[in-house]
Amino acid sequence: MLNPARDPAFGQRLVGTLLLLALLAPTFVLTGFNPFVLFHQDTWQVWLGFVAGFLPPAHGTDFLGEVLRETVTTLASATLGLALAVAIGLPAALATSRALDAARLTAEPPSRLAETAKSLLRGLLVALRGVPEIVWALLFVRAVGLGSLPAVLAIGIAYGGMLGKVYAEILESQPAEPARALAASGAGRLARFAWAALPQALPELVSYSVYRWECAIRASAVMGFVGAGGVGQLIDTSLKMLNGGEVSTLLLVFLLLVMLTEAISQLCRHALDSRAGTTGIAVATLAAVLGSWWWLRQGWPNDAFDFASLGHFAVEFFPPAHDAALLTSAAHGILETLAMSLLGSALAFVGGALLAVPAAGRFGATLKALSRLLLNLLRGVPDLMWAALAVLAVGLGPAAGVLALTLHTSGVLGRLFAETLENAAPEPERALLAAGAGHFAAFAYGQLPQVLAQWVAYTLYRWENNIRIATVLGIVGAGGIGTQLYLALSLFQQTTAATLIIAMLLLSWAVEALSRALRRRMES
Amino acid sequence: MTRLTTTLASAALLLSAGTAFAQDVLRVSAIPDEAPTELARKFAPLGAYLEKETGIKVQFVPVTDYAGVVTALTSDKLDMAWLGGFTYVQAAQRGKVIPLVQREEDTKFTSKFIASTASGANSLKDLKGKSFAFGSASSTSGHLMPRFFLQKEGIKPETFFKNVAYSGAHDATVAWVASGKVDGGALNSSVWDKLVEGHKVDLTKVKVIGTTPPFYDYNWTVRGNLDPALVKKITAAFLKLDPKNPEQKNILELQRATRFVPTKPDNYRGIESAAREAGLLK
Repeated sequence: MLNPARDPAFGQRLVGTLLLLALLAPTFVLTGFNPFVLFHQDTWQVWLGFVAGFLPPAHGTDFLGEVLRETVTTLASATLGLALAVAIGLPAALATSRALDAARLTAEPPSRLAETAKSLLRGLLVALRGVPEIVWALLFVRAVGLGSLPAVLAIGIAYGGMLGKVYAEILESQPAEPARALAASGAGRLARFAWAALPQALPELVSYSVYRWECAIRASAVMGFVGAGGVGQLIDTSLKMLNGGEVSTLLLVFLLLVMLTEAISQLCRHALDSRAGTTGIAVATLAAVLGSWWWLRQGWPNDAFDFASLGHFAVEFFPPAHDAALLTSAAHGILETLAMSLLGSALAFVGGALLAVPAAGRFGATLKALSRLLLNLLRGVPDLMWAALAVLAVGLGPAAGVLALTLHTSGVLGRLFAETLENAAPEPERALLAAGAGHFAAFAYGQLPQVLAQWVAYTLYRWENNIRIATVLGIVGAGGIGTQLYLALSLFQQTTAATLIIAMLLLSWAVEALSRALRRRMES
Repeated sequence: MTRLTTTLASAALLLSAGTAFAQDVLRVSAIPDEAPTELARKFAPLGAYLEKETGIKVQFVPVTDYAGVVTALTSDKLDMAWLGGFTYVQAAQRGKVIPLVQREEDTKFTSKFIASTASGANSLKDLKGKSFAFGSASSTSGHLMPRFFLQKEGIKPETFFKNVAYSGAHDATVAWVASGKVDGGALNSSVWDKLVEGHKVDLTKVKVIGTTPPFYDYNWTVRGNLDPALVKKITAAFLKLDPKNPEQKNILELQRATRFVPTKPDNYRGIESAAREAGLLK
């Protein structure tokens, strides 16, 4: 136990902690998150009843057949969605990457028209990736009907915007000499791309795309929450019906799927080292994309690509509503979203730190293995799925959002924290122990100062991420501005929905700009 | 130029042929007011019957989203759908649709207010400051009408209850109340009776604390441009369903109908004004 006599800075620490809690107090009020509710007897009864229902996992043949079908659909939607994203992102990168600009490679003055077009295209990409993929899915579910097509389009569009930016940056990070040589001999943009930039950047492009494919599978698995098919749809139904046995089977399947994709992507990265491996990847990719198309196509309506009705649908969103009542409630939604993300990240810092210490092996191998397993579970289940589960534990509203963010982020941070602990130099702590310090004091003075700055940096980065996630948790009933968006779309109040989406975009841009500015200041 | 026009025109024709093609399959769906598996089970014999009566293949398209059914019907992606009163009003506002028939029960439909026995509530007033669940936000008997009648009693859900949740479906609302996840809720009387009859609800945990006055609810609606001859056949098929015929009795029982009667848009004026008053329709 902590012994104040052994910790000279105990008073300071106490004051610091209390000050931090006082700063966080408004977020507790705003989100209505009461940690003590979690320890209430009532909550535990509901929760235990539900968890007891988890066992045994459902294993009826019909049910398993359905799970298998939907799992394949989830995989296929992610694969086809990513193919669409590459089809959007690669040409966009080709058009916008500064690495291919003649002005940078030769002395030729830039054409104003081309520069304007490029800026416009970059702006479009920002908008595509600024709207979260689950919101795209919700919109497409309404526009093109249900099933897997909305999931494919949502992943394609949101990830297309992301790939366009990252691909362009990857091209920019390569040595410019080959492109310059080609440019000097009069080769066009496409030739500079195909013969200079692409061959250099290929391994990195592939490796990033594979990473995005992993993300796409996680995204695809939760799209069923808005009616876009896949495993998520089954989880949504089972959760609503409080059928714990089905939920546990589905969660197990989902975790297996995540592990499988991680293994496949590892394999891909290794295969890139050899020529035969590269060909293998190309063939496998082609087969996977065609197979996905074939599998999903059967479920799509014949007139799936009815662009006229898509157009009608889009027009309904204009002009965005802007009455005072809506703006006030949107502002409140934003505030709630921010409070959720802040409190969730702060609690996850504590949770991550508490789990990181055993996960770094400080309390023996058994505890290390157990805490690692827990971390993987927390991290492996997507935030939106945690939110749907948290709604059961603490009821609908922002408190569930806070719990979901805390759980998922604790898993992410705990793993990162454990790594920093393992990498920290052990000597200072040993020296303190040798000098007769207690275990706690030795840890607090020998280890913690080495890692704390890194921990805070990781947490701030996750917070930025969590703000974006908090905007969509409302879709499953976990508070924030997403709740309002879901309701508006359910009641066909499209102009209201437009305003809320714009508010989400502005929030996401503001956070991105702020964090970029902060990072620049910290670097300089 | 003329050649281009001809090409474009024929392309347009080909495209429109895709939608206006002679009906070879009837695409049918229903708002997901119960679990998807339950909807499919309920529909199977009715689908087979309609197939026999109309001579057209009937395909049930499962949809998990209320608003999705409305959009699909008004954008001609579905031919016929089972809609609630409110979803019908939404569809009629967004495109041309024709309501055909409804169950006799739908002409005097009601909703139940329920509470968990653990909450100790015996009336709506007792639920003040407790949590409350509606079904789907787009539901007539699970949200709109209960909300409307609550407001008539001077109860504004958002301020009267501690928090207001949307469970998504009628059977989910019962599951939530039974588990103690929320203290009270509202759902359609028909589903409540079915759950009670089938012993799917533990009456020591959940009890009814109120019933709404009657209103018009569910109907079967087709898209406005469906072939009139086919519309006639479908309507006739529904109307002649006879409880004396054992096979048809099964269909009616699954639909929880004594028989089907014709319906008309005017029946839903009341729902429309209730939706406006409750602020769910602008």
